[in-house]
Amino acid sequence: MKRRVVITGLGICTGVGCGATGFWEGLITGRSGIGTVTVFDTSALPVRIGGQVKDLHPKEFGSAFPEAAGERDRKISLGLNAAAEAIRDGGLEASALAPALLVVGVSLETFFLNDVSPLAHAANLAWALRGIIQGGAGPCLQTPLDQLASVLGGYYGFGGGRYTNCSACAAGAQAIGEAFRRIRDGTAELALAGATDSVLNPLAMGGFSLLQILSTENDTPTMACRPFDATRVGTVLGEGAAFLLMETAEQARQRGARVYAEVLGYGSSLDAYRVTDPEPAGKGAALSMAKALSDAGLRQDDIDCVNAHGTGTPKNDVAETQAIKQALGKRAFQIPVTANKSMTGHLIAASGAVEAVASALSLFCAVVPPTINLTNRDPECDLDYVPGNSRPFRGRTVLSNSFGFGGQNATLIFGKHE
Amino acid sequence: MTTGEQERVVVTGIGLVTPLGNDAGLVLRRIRAGASAAGPPTGFDAGAFACPVCAQVEVFDPKLYVSEPKMVRLMNRDAQLAVAAAHLALEDAGVKPGPTYAPDDIALFGATGLAGLPLREVTPLICVSAAPDGSFDLARFGQSGLKVVSPILSFKILSNMPFCFVSINESIQGPNAIYTPWEGEGAQAIEAGIRALQAGDARCALVGGCDVKTHELAFASLQQHGLFSSWSKTSKGVVPAEGAAFLVLEIEKDALDRNARRYGCLSAQRLRPQCDREDLFQTRLAGLRSLKIREVEVLVGAGNGDAGQEEQESAMLEAAEISVRTKLYPKKQVGDLFAAAGVLQVALGAALTFAGAKTVLANCFGHGNTQAAFVLKRA
Repeated sequence: MKRRVVITGLGICTGVGCGATGFWEGLITGRSGIGTVTVFDTSALPVRIGGQVKDLHPKEFGSAFPEAAGERDRKISLGLNAAAEAIRDGGLEASALAPALLVVGVSLETFFLNDVSPLAHAANLAWALRGIIQGGAGPCLQTPLDQLASVLGGYYGFGGGRYTNCSACAAGAQAIGEAFRRIRDGTAELALAGATDSVLNPLAMGGFSLLQILSTENDTPTMACRPFDATRVGTVLGEGAAFLLMETAEQARQRGARVYAEVLGYGSSLDAYRVTDPEPAGKGAALSMAKALSDAGLRQDDIDCVNAHGTGTPKNDVAETQAIKQALGKRAFQIPVTANKSMTGHLIAASGAVEAVASALSLFCAVVPPTINLTNRDPECDLDYVPGNSRPFRGRTVLSNSFGFGGQNATLIFGKHE
Repeated sequence: MTTGEQERVVVTGIGLVTPLGNDAGLVLRRIRAGASAAGPPTGFDAGAFACPVCAQVEVFDPKLYVSEPKMVRLMNRDAQLAVAAAHLALEDAGVKPGPTYAPDDIALFGATGLAGLPLREVTPLICVSAAPDGSFDLARFGQSGLKVVSPILSFKILSNMPFCFVSINESIQGPNAIYTPWEGEGAQAIEAGIRALQAGDARCALVGGCDVKTHELAFASLQQHGLFSSWSKTSKGVVPAEGAAFLVLEIEKDALDRNARRYGCLSAQRLRPQCDREDLFQTRLAGLRSLKIREVEVLVGAGNGDAGQEEQESAMLEAAEISVRTKLYPKKQVGDLFAAAGVLQVALGAALTFAGAKTVLANCFGHGNTQAAFVLKRA
């Protein structure tokens, strides 16, 4: 018999708010976390807005996580913040994590262009690079993507396995899905799973702007991300991290832990279409949802809410709408479909984990957060997207979608714990 | 976890693109003959770094392996190698997505290394973004820098891209995940494939790794992370390499039903992170002990040329009371393929069981968070 898996701790840090309470208050009141990026001077870039986390103080982690002291990469600091919160929130001592499983989602390395500026007029790149690294004393050119897993492993243990998933925007959902499956199947008892990301740096923001998938409405940042709206022009990048503490329902009951929600199912699929575009009919995304439904042993009518990938790009929102209708049939028209990215921006790898936290809190607090900035519905996006204001929610399940650049899809299904 | 109580998973296809060749049998013959792929890099002056050599794939035309040749220009070198090796593995297994298994019944799990920043593509950006004093100037970057790079630069540096290209090229739509960035992550991809098959999530799993450590940025990073510390005038160390390795895995019954060649059976595996107060020796030793084996015919060892590694590995086997008849150390000759190394080790192990070895131990030890070992048996 499969074991039941529950969420007993939440940790989150986004532009909307840090800490589960602050984040949730922001989300259900429709507060946008998007503003002018101040991490660096964006004035010469075509895109100058993002979902930036305010008041992030990386140096504060130095004593608890000495390996991260002096770390410049914001995703490490964000991840440590969220991971530590989830563990605290779950009521566990650090030592309890020694045998646990850790699965971390990330997307791409952060390159600091100012580090490599000596390459500009170098006659020989190799020798110029040697000069930059100064035999080890120079700035770290490439922080390995498993750095957060290493730091967390060094502090907490995580002897049950440390995995770093880099499936782009599907990474967070895949990380949680993998932890869920391992606990359910009996190869793990306790897991911390989630993701972290920050693409608010010149190369990533500049690079993504070239793809013409970003909103350039720099003068109205809070309204720039408009999932499912007819006037949407693109997504807005963000940064953040979210982690979930997960364990068996039996263990949670025995230790009297607060349970936010149960994880019921997980599915993943590939579009196998193009690296630059979602499959327009949403077939790959629908397949991911169908696999999650099957994994959870649920029918279409059992789904009560969808937390959409909902990026605000013209192509994604139509394809996802098609996919939801394929996967859920007529049920798609009867349930709320909400898009958290309207407020957080697109957190790339972290988005699935952030939306998992939002889904769990929807079930725990009985509220569906709104999709903000949706005032002119796209005729091709004809579902109930919860425009403007949050709503009471008496449903028992939430399906959460994450679709990655390159065509990787992941779907999680959460249930009310009873 | 061992797979003993569950349905047996067999290797039915191997696809390699390595500095010592693209055929597992050929690579093994070259290793046994003492061949080495190490040589001075062709693209840059390695004299700048402590390690003077690397192992490159010399003759390689990615267009031979893609359904749409124009796709190649969108790919970094690691993606090109991955697409080729994945194609060779499926071809070797006789698996065609669609006719053999439904595309969504084929899982794809992979491992990629440290990116991917295509330095030579980015150098023009750095040049036009530099102020007269040589410092990076954000204003110049915004006004001129972004005009001189490819619009798809962001896609190229996303770590999952090699496997997305594989899925597109082969029309694979099943369960998937990509891990990063070291040797053990290739082992994680294999483990994920085994789990997907045994859980009934897929009927076939394409698992693989790819990496390119033969450019100057990789050399600088490896040196910065201390991986060249064994190199000196009198001693050698790790040889950075490039390449890709893929396996096709199936439940043995399915392989038998379609008369597929079975290279070997993945009979046990152990993936283990370094735990509190353990040193690396203890971590690896604990993993080997948990495999509960006494004798192997061939060891595909993880020794990569760093001083003392082979001796340590032998000491571990002795401490774990595992007797070994023959030892091979592919990394010393093929080079260290990092994220692809774990899969290459197991691929060579499978080729050895197919050639007659009764039991093979493939160690996927390396840097980073996971130390892994696999036991292969004759199918």
